[in-house]
Amino acid sequence: MNVGIIGTGAWGRALATLVAEAGHQPRIGYRRRSPRGFPGTPNLAMLAEDSDLLIVAVPAGAVREVVEKARPGPGSRVVIATRGIEPESGRWLSSVVLAHAAARRVGALAGPALASEVVERRPGALVVASPYEEVRRLAQAALHSSICRVYTSEDLRGVELAGAAVNVLSAVVGMADALRLGVGVRGVIVTRGLAEIARLGDALGADPATFAGLAGMGDLVGCGCHPDHPSYQAGGHLARAESGDPELARKAEALLSLAARHEVELPLLGAMARIARGELKPRLAIDMLMRRSAKSERR
Amino acid sequence: MLARARTPHPRAEEVAVQGAPPPLTHDEVARRMAERAARRLQGMDDEAVRAYLAEAVYLERRRFATSKPSELTEGDRAEQKVIERAARAVHRDRPAQERAVLDLAEHYAREVHNPFSPRTYDFATRVLPGALTRLLTATRPRELLGRGPDPSDRIQVQGPTELLAKLARTHTLVLAPTHVSNLDSPLIGYALYASGLPPVIYGAGLNLFSNPFMAPFMSRLGAYTVDRRKKHRVYKDVLKDYSTDAIGRGAHSLFFPGGTRSRSGRIERRVKKGLLGTAILAWQEGLAEARPRPEILVVPCTLSFALVLEAETLIEDSLAEEGRSRYIITDDEFSEARTVASFASRVLNLDASVVVRFGRPLDLVGNPVDDEGRSLGPDGEPIDRRRYVTDRDGRVEWDAQRDRVYTAVLSEALVRAWHRDNVVLATHAAGLAAWSLLRVRHPDIDPYQLVFAGTDERTVPRADLLRAVEATVVAIERLAAAGALHDGLPAGPSPAARAEAVLAQALDRFSRFHKRRALEPAPGGAIRVEPRLALYYGNRLDGYEVDEAPLEAHLRGVLRRAIREAGA
Repeated sequence: MNVGIIGTGAWGRALATLVAEAGHQPRIGYRRRSPRGFPGTPNLAMLAEDSDLLIVAVPAGAVREVVEKARPGPGSRVVIATRGIEPESGRWLSSVVLAHAAARRVGALAGPALASEVVERRPGALVVASPYEEVRRLAQAALHSSICRVYTSEDLRGVELAGAAVNVLSAVVGMADALRLGVGVRGVIVTRGLAEIARLGDALGADPATFAGLAGMGDLVGCGCHPDHPSYQAGGHLARAESGDPELARKAEALLSLAARHEVELPLLGAMARIARGELKPRLAIDMLMRRSAKSERR
Repeated sequence: MLARARTPHPRAEEVAVQGAPPPLTHDEVARRMAERAARRLQGMDDEAVRAYLAEAVYLERRRFATSKPSELTEGDRAEQKVIERAARAVHRDRPAQERAVLDLAEHYAREVHNPFSPRTYDFATRVLPGALTRLLTATRPRELLGRGPDPSDRIQVQGPTELLAKLARTHTLVLAPTHVSNLDSPLIGYALYASGLPPVIYGAGLNLFSNPFMAPFMSRLGAYTVDRRKKHRVYKDVLKDYSTDAIGRGAHSLFFPGGTRSRSGRIERRVKKGLLGTAILAWQEGLAEARPRPEILVVPCTLSFALVLEAETLIEDSLAEEGRSRYIITDDEFSEARTVASFASRVLNLDASVVVRFGRPLDLVGNPVDDEGRSLGPDGEPIDRRRYVTDRDGRVEWDAQRDRVYTAVLSEALVRAWHRDNVVLATHAAGLAAWSLLRVRHPDIDPYQLVFAGTDERTVPRADLLRAVEATVVAIERLAAAGALHDGLPAGPSPAARAEAVLAQALDRFSRFHKRRALEPAPGGAIRVEPRLALYYGNRLDGYEVDEAPLEAHLRGVLRRAIREAGA
């Protein structure tokens, strides 16, 4: 199988490692610097045309640009391996592909796999979600090996939402750790954070079970709570800094505006957005969250 | 400006060239459907074949047993014999079960099929305008035999009809309209004829074939018979196979993807994908067999009625306890010949009372197409759409699961197109305005209770209603300017003047037919609102957003502010 990967960062190279491990030939499409260790091409359109499966592993803000260059067409199958939402538009990354290319067969990849661990061939697992059985099957075949189990899911919306939420919740964990709030709080953030995201997912037609899976719980506990995770680090900076973090604010706001449209309350992410905008001090936010009325765990 | 329908009566030969393929006999259709059923059986294991047959036997026997003798048709009695033979086969070996399935498929194929030829169509197109005219102008059923004015004065046809006529010569078209009324199919038939477009075949419920007003249109315009009482897979598969086969042979087709008339008055937001999915299968069969004309395009279409004949029954059904709404309504206004005639004369006979709007065609995964019928990507450049279903060497890659997702994507594109192509008329705008006003005046009454509000609650000052209509007109102008819908409201120099004209026209339209009127003048210059009908007509504007709020919520905000200011 010809597998094309767009993105020369740590994650792109980690995915190329997985593809090679699974017994296929990866080719990396690059915009500026040719990658080392794998065959590469700057011609993204040709890469898209020649690949049986095209994996996009560039930062969320660059997905649109590379999709417009690669122009995956009616015959392409595209899997987005980047977690998150397009920053400017608040759109799902798979929707960015659908809006800017003729390709219809899209999917998303997420789960607890740190690039640094993958290249050291440590065991891990990922989930590929797509409404197209064919895309799930191809991505599984392209990436599944003895160092990485790849599970499939039909719940594209849920996996994308979980990926976007983990990015923000990881920052909440990083902030709480920086404030030395203790391990109990970490457990609260993980479970209650995913509970509010699962409510939003339910309203969007996603499967609530997805959030307890690899893309949700797995990624947040495994990678999101790790000091190397960029969002975790951003949360830590926020706890110590005097000003906010506009990028983090944007990530949280994208989820909040979605929630507002579906009349779902996201207390934890709401507080995080206000902290990231510099409107609220973390300590005060925690106090406010703790003083909310008592509730049942399930609803 | 609203364009009037042209009436270029196409000559018979032209119709024969671009119209339906040569008709098949009942025997030929039965054979073809049996072949398809046999292929389907090949993919099933023994247990699946037995269950497939057993379901048909069980559901049909139950239907026969629970129907009153008067409800059973001659066709039912013929079917009963085939079902009883099948019942015996359920307990025998697989070959016997397969034979029984094929028997049933052949039986249903004959039942569904209606031999339709360009020649009968030619006959129908000559008969149709007269018949439709009479339908639209008759005051009493007896006058249906008389002659009346040209229906093109009454029915506006909008959209790229010349482009569609051109594409129909090289592509098979699948027409996909919103479903409002039982009058939809004859009106679309008329609109096709009036715009020089070829005829279509379509599935129509049994009850329409026995309706004295509809029967002449049904078979002549290529209707095939759909019996919605039969709910088992053998029958549904025959319907799908029939459609796949017909589209594949180049017959332009009509589906109502909503499946049934919209109960709430809303534009359908969900689409039944079974029949729509036959188009993509027919396309792939055409590609695989290298047929000369395999390409298929979907044409969205909207029908806007100033007044809907069945409005009262439909909205009652929509408001009935959820989940108990009926899929088949047999006792609506449509079953009374006199009601249809009076509706026709009092409503359709008015200027601007019906608009049929064809949209720009889509390919089978929802992409727009250019004037040559080539699919366009998001950047506006042509793409090779065959690659959605073929490999690099052009071989078809069969994948039913993928096709279901493609059809879901197409459905979403259709729903968007319907909203864009929706032509808003005065009754829709006034209905929404009145409903929003009631909600603002009674913030403490739940909308579900408001529909049953008493006389006092539902009588509103004319000035307030006018303000609500004006706010609606302003919102519609904004939506129309953004390309979100089409403004079919009466013209005027300012929103205030238009609001006056809209309210006057709506009051006039509403006064013409329904037993209960959505809006009617009340003593003291007030207006009495019938909330259910106002909601029904206003629902045609559901699904639009202004300033990121649903249109109705936006209007309520504007009205609350306006009323506060007026009070201050």
